[in-house]
Amino acid sequence: MNPLYDPIASFGTGPKPLKLVVAGPVGAGKTSFVRSLSETEVVGTDELATEDIGKTFTTVAMDFGTLVLDGQPIFLFGTPGQDRFDFMWEVLCEGALGLVLLVAGDKPSEFSQARRILEFITSRISVPFIVGVTRQDLPKVWSSEDVAEYFGLPTAQVVSLNATRSTSSIFTLIHLLELVGAYQLSESFVSSDAGLAEPQNGFGQQ
Amino acid sequence: MSKQETLYQAINQLRASIPELRGAIVASSDGLAIAHSLSNGEDPNRVAAMAATALGLGKRISESLNAGSLTETSVSGTNAQIYLYAAGQKGVLAIVAPAGANIGLIHMEARETAKAVASIL
Repeated sequence: MNPLYDPIASFGTGPKPLKLVVAGPVGAGKTSFVRSLSETEVVGTDELATEDIGKTFTTVAMDFGTLVLDGQPIFLFGTPGQDRFDFMWEVLCEGALGLVLLVAGDKPSEFSQARRILEFITSRISVPFIVGVTRQDLPKVWSSEDVAEYFGLPTAQVVSLNATRSTSSIFTLIHLLELVGAYQLSESFVSSDAGLAEPQNGFGQQ
Repeated sequence: MSKQETLYQAINQLRASIPELRGAIVASSDGLAIAHSLSNGEDPNRVAAMAATALGLGKRISESLNAGSLTETSVSGTNAQIYLYAAGQKGVLAIVAPAGANIGLIHMEARETAKAVASIL
């Protein structure tokens, strides 16, 4: 298997790249997640943080990385975390086929912010998602089961991970891809019944 | 004079020298509004975040294509043009000019303002 995906060489031949978006509050580990997974150099937009957010740099536009998993090319787009960049959530989620919402397991005070981000995105685009509870290497951290209960989600839709470790991130990605596969099957089933299909809201409506 | 007063002085001076400007704003490179003078009631916080995003992406494009460090970038619409100037490592100066404005003069004045802003920040 050739790990490096060349979109020009494979144009019109191989499988189409799958666009996945990584969202979540500041410091959840979105940039780490993209960096730990990408097989190509990550396009990042880190700038000096002028607020006290517990780290020196913050993403202002996006992170972009690529990888190939089981022959499937994947384009990963990481979003900025702060509300003031919500226009980038819209821009980056356009055409996304899956979403990873990351939340730091040691910062329960940010769970409500994570939920707002999730609602912002899922109210505009119908996309399968998983919630990833990061910073699992820390001693005091919420488990994925507890976070699933907080979000009112099935436990299968919430996973624990350490976004700085690629094996942990890959596991999260595989989990999402399983959901995406199941979702696409159910979508093609549902779309034959117009009454059940959820309306897909277009972007650009404020 | 406080930093903020000095910054306001800089952008007010810029607007005075080019009266047709529709707005000017100074933001931190992570997208927080620091000083602004916007004529059409745009939300300065939103404009500041967008300016930082555009500049951040521009910096990355500039580096990737071996164009050196980014000095400025622009967005052109049918009604107006927006110019974004890097103000040191920490800041960005954005101005909104109507279509057909004197771009030469704008660049001359705004680059000076961006330098001044960089030294204040």
